Formats: sequence, C-alpha cells, structure tokens
Amino acid sequence: MELIKEVAFERTYDASPETVWQAWTTPELLKQWWGPNNVTIPECEVDLRVGGKFYIVMEAGEAMGPYKGTKWPMLGEFTVVEPNAKLSYNAKAWTEGQKEETTIDQTTELTLTAENGKTQVKLTAVIHKTGPKAGMAVQGMQAGFTQQLNKLNDFLTAKK
Amino acid sequence: MVEHSDELDSVFGSLSDPTRRGILKKVSKKSMSVGEIAAHYQLTFAAIAKHLDVLHRAKLISKTRRGKEQIVSISPNTLAVASNYLEEYKQLWENRLDSLDRHLQVTNKKGEK
Repeated sequence: MELIKEVAFERTYDASPETVWQAWTTPELLKQWWGPNNVTIPECEVDLRVGGKFYIVMEAGEAMGPYKGTKWPMLGEFTVVEPNAKLSYNAKAWTEGQKEETTIDQTTELTLTAENGKTQVKLTAVIHKTGPKAGMAVQGMQAGFTQQLNKLNDFLTAKK
Repeated sequence: MVEHSDELDSVFGSLSDPTRRGILKKVSKKSMSVGEIAAHYQLTFAAIAKHLDVLHRAKLISKTRRGKEQIVSISPNTLAVASNYLEEYKQLWENRLDSLDRHLQVTNKKGEK
C-alpha cells in the first residue's frame, strides 16, 4: 500500500491567473465558492502577506440535516505570497467544539501558470497531523459537497 | 456515518519521518526481526527501537516475540483507515476545485455582459 499523506491536483481554468488569484484571496469571493451550496461562510479573513492570517469558517445550513449548524473553522498563516503566481499557507482545520479531536494540520500550496489565456492551477495539500476524529470532520464537509453534486445530478437528469 | 478509529491519531505524524516510512515499506513486504531492520540502517539499535516504538504507538506495526527475537509485522488495518481518510480528504479538494470552476464560469459570464 502506498504511504501517502499528500494530495496533488492539476486543473486548467478558463480564466486569467489574476481572476483565479482574486477568487482565492478575496474574502467576498471565497465566500462564494469555498464551501458547497448548502454551507455558508459566516467569517472569512485574509491578511495577504507572509505571516498574515487566513481564516475561514464554514457553517452547515438547513439542507445539511444532521450536520445543520456545525461549524468548521480553518485558521492558517501564509508562508508564500507571490501575487497571481504562488500562494502557500500552513493551516489547522477543525470541527467547532471538538478542536482537540478533529484538528487537521496541513500545508497547502497553490501555483498558477498562464497558459493560452487560461490558467493552470497546481494544488498540493500535505497532511502533517490529524486528531483521532479528523476523519469525521472531513466527512462532514464532504457531505455538503456530495449533496451539491447530487443536486447537480438531479438537475441534469431532470433535463433529459 | 462511519466512525473513524482512534488509530488515525498518530499515523500521519509517524509517516512524516523518512526512516519510519522506509521501515514500514520493508515490513510491509515481509515480517522482519528488529535486528534485520537495524542492519539496513546506519543507526544505533536504540534509535531503530525508538522509531519502531513510534510506529507501534500509531498501531502501524505489531510486534511478536519469537524466541529471543522480536518480530515486526505491518498492521494493514491502520493503513487502510489512513488511506480511506486521505481518499475523502482528496475528494473534498476535488469538489472544492469543481466549485471554483463553476464560480469562475459565472464570473466570466458576468464579465461578458
């Protein structure tokens, strides 16, 4: 079995690096896409400089059923800030009220490269440490996204 | 909802060390005695024992006694739990990146108007 503790992604977005950078670093924009539809972002702070704070709180809405009202804060610190090119931060994410048990300690690195009017995005997330119940926190957040995908799926199926 | 076991607690911490990852890789192929493992490294026996302790606490390995020797074996369940967890974490990011894509598409359309 592979001993990985790192996940890596490569995507190409139909937008300029400036637009992608704005989406990643502007609180008002982050609020629009960071969480799934049925999750709100009541708090988001971005102090865009090395050593600056990156704080996002996700809150499960009505549609999340058993998770409703659950808050998942993430508090990080930027280690690399190269506008429109590279962003890196160390962060802890947890489920409110269960910080000890659910904390995920991680480093995320984002690289943006312009490519024929589009932007290639490389994202690496390395997990350093997890609390014993961190898996539950991930599942909770994940439940929101799954619902969102199901919704999209229903919508597409209904159209046929 | 699937309850994740406490085993996950120290798994990722244990795997952060290259020597420990190496040891785990070796014992994942076959069970080995502590002496056999130590022979692969230019480290003191005590240092190897310490690494094994960390892996043992994370329940990544099990130790059994065979005569005078201690035999180290991998505990596949713990790795399975960790790998499962990582899969979900990966999915979370996949979905978030999809969400960013939808967001950018909407932003683009607004820009064209």
